[in-house]
Amino acid sequence: MQTQSSRWLGHGLYLVIMAVLISGVYFAGQKIDYTWHWERLWPYVINTESQDIVAVTDGTAVVDKSGRLSIQPDYGDDPQIIDVYDTLVSRDGDLIFQGDTIARIDGWRFGPIAEGLWVTIKISFISLIFAVLLGVMFGLMRVAHGQVWRNLAMTYVEVIRGTPLLVQIFIVYFFIGTVFDLDRFTAGVAALSIFTGAYVAEIVRAGIQSVPVGQMEAARSLGMNYVQAMAYVIMPQAIKRTLPPLAGQFINLIKDSSLVSVISITDLTKAGREVVSGSFAPFEVWFTVAILYLVVTGGLSLLIQRLEKRLSASD
Amino acid sequence: MIEQAKVPPSLQPLIHASKVNKVFPNGCHALKDVSLEVLRGQVVVIIGPSGSGKSTFLRTLNQLEPITSGQIVLDQVDLTDKHTDINIVRKEVGMVFQSFNLFPHKTALGNVMLAPMKVLKQSKAEAQKTAESLLQRVGLADRMDNYPSRLSGGQQQRVAIARSLAMKPKALLFDEPTSALDPEMVGEVLDVMKGLAHGGMTMVVVTHEMGFAREVADRVVFMEDGELVLEETPERFFHSDHPRLQRFLGQVL
Ligand SMILES: Nc1ncnc2c1ncn2[C@@H]1O[C@H](COP(=O)(O)OP(=O)(O)O)[C@@H](O)[C@H]1O
Ligand SMILES: [Mg+2]
Repeated sequence: MQTQSSRWLGHGLYLVIMAVLISGVYFAGQKIDYTWHWERLWPYVINTESQDIVAVTDGTAVVDKSGRLSIQPDYGDDPQIIDVYDTLVSRDGDLIFQGDTIARIDGWRFGPIAEGLWVTIKISFISLIFAVLLGVMFGLMRVAHGQVWRNLAMTYVEVIRGTPLLVQIFIVYFFIGTVFDLDRFTAGVAALSIFTGAYVAEIVRAGIQSVPVGQMEAARSLGMNYVQAMAYVIMPQAIKRTLPPLAGQFINLIKDSSLVSVISITDLTKAGREVVSGSFAPFEVWFTVAILYLVVTGGLSLLIQRLEKRLSASD
Repeated sequence: MIEQAKVPPSLQPLIHASKVNKVFPNGCHALKDVSLEVLRGQVVVIIGPSGSGKSTFLRTLNQLEPITSGQIVLDQVDLTDKHTDINIVRKEVGMVFQSFNLFPHKTALGNVMLAPMKVLKQSKAEAQKTAESLLQRVGLADRMDNYPSRLSGGQQQRVAIARSLAMKPKALLFDEPTSALDPEMVGEVLDVMKGLAHGGMTMVVVTHEMGFAREVADRVVFMEDGELVLEETPERFFHSDHPRLQRFLGQVL
């Protein structure tokens, strides 16, 4: 129905509207009494400042011919040897006190925002794997023949979907975490996996039930048992149908992972909060955090789209 | 059963259903005391109005539908016995469906190879060899790598037949195999089925194709309201003056 030209017109109009919106945000940013300091943010992402190497004891600096620096302690301990450094601050024979800067090393390290991002990716990824395992297991139970299995799976799904994630995180951390002696990270992963697993179970159930009954009958009449029919005939078709809703659920998982900051896991969100108080650049920080979440969720979206394309070979 | 033990196994019926009753959970009494014997190599055609229980009966023969009472013996194995491993029975009885039910995520070749590899534990090479020769036999040598979505109805049904044959079944059950096909494709599927019949395959076929019944059936069965009304050789069947059969034939012919 849509003509080529009207589509280009649509794209053009979209660009104009976006430009207006973005410049609106920009001018609003200029108008308020706020000085933007994007450069302040950078060290919190990647820190390129040279790092100090400090003496661990009182002693005397020794620089040998090959340029190797060591601190000979006053009282007969083993010397502190510094093989790798970029600039020397102390000279041969200097008296050194504990905590003195004796050399500097260039290079870079990740700041708290990058580290928070890594924690977010890690916790989301591990939770995703467990959520899929839980989801497939309970999804299969939902369509099993035994009433016990169906009831158990239904209870899990209803209980988890009927309570807020934040409350579940507290329960897992303070109650289950105490009983089983879990650390924060494990508790966070457990809460996120159990929460997302319930939604994945529903998606898996719907996917299995969307495969026509004739498929199961054909597989069974060829002599396959229930497990074989599920594994080779039903699930491959169900998975293809569940990919779009699963993608949505995984994106939710990444966003929901921001809630684990309430049990003091320094994920991207918590890192953002900490950096705001250190950098005095709240707007810059929160914009950056939002964009980083977008990059992760967008990347995942793209990945699943490619997988979908590959699986659609038989359409 | 005791009298039968004296008869050599090759002469005993391959399929022996006696007084089969099926009542669905919703109370529908779909089969009423249906009894049927099919000897090795015989072709039995079942006709009857829609809703008369033809599909249900066919499905009880490989236990896709458990029965309420009665007995079904297949090659001396009692299917209704709790101790019978139903998966072993099913791989010995193939079933071809009205809606083909090919596996959409597998190519024609993949459809035929799957069960031999997973159930009979054939090697991939072995399964592929059999599959290729079967697809050739049903006239699809040039379509092996196509997915079902790229095949016509007639081609899909022929793949489905090849898929059943790959399990080397003792008998094949057909549930209206040509009813979902465009008229011009009915012939190609019937030709394959005629070839199987002449090759000595034991077949139970639910169909509305009277020509097929006349030409290849050893016996024709008429079902109505869950009852087996009449069972005759084709000649006598189509000349029968049974009033219920007359009424039905008057409607379809
Ligand atoms: N799963 C089922 N549950 C309840 N009733 C069924 C079911 N399958 C078939 N029936 C009923 O059993 C009767 C026979 O159906 P069917 O064997 O499909 O007839 P046919 O194949 O001769 O058209 C019909 O009245 C149908 O409504
Ligand atoms: Mg039917």
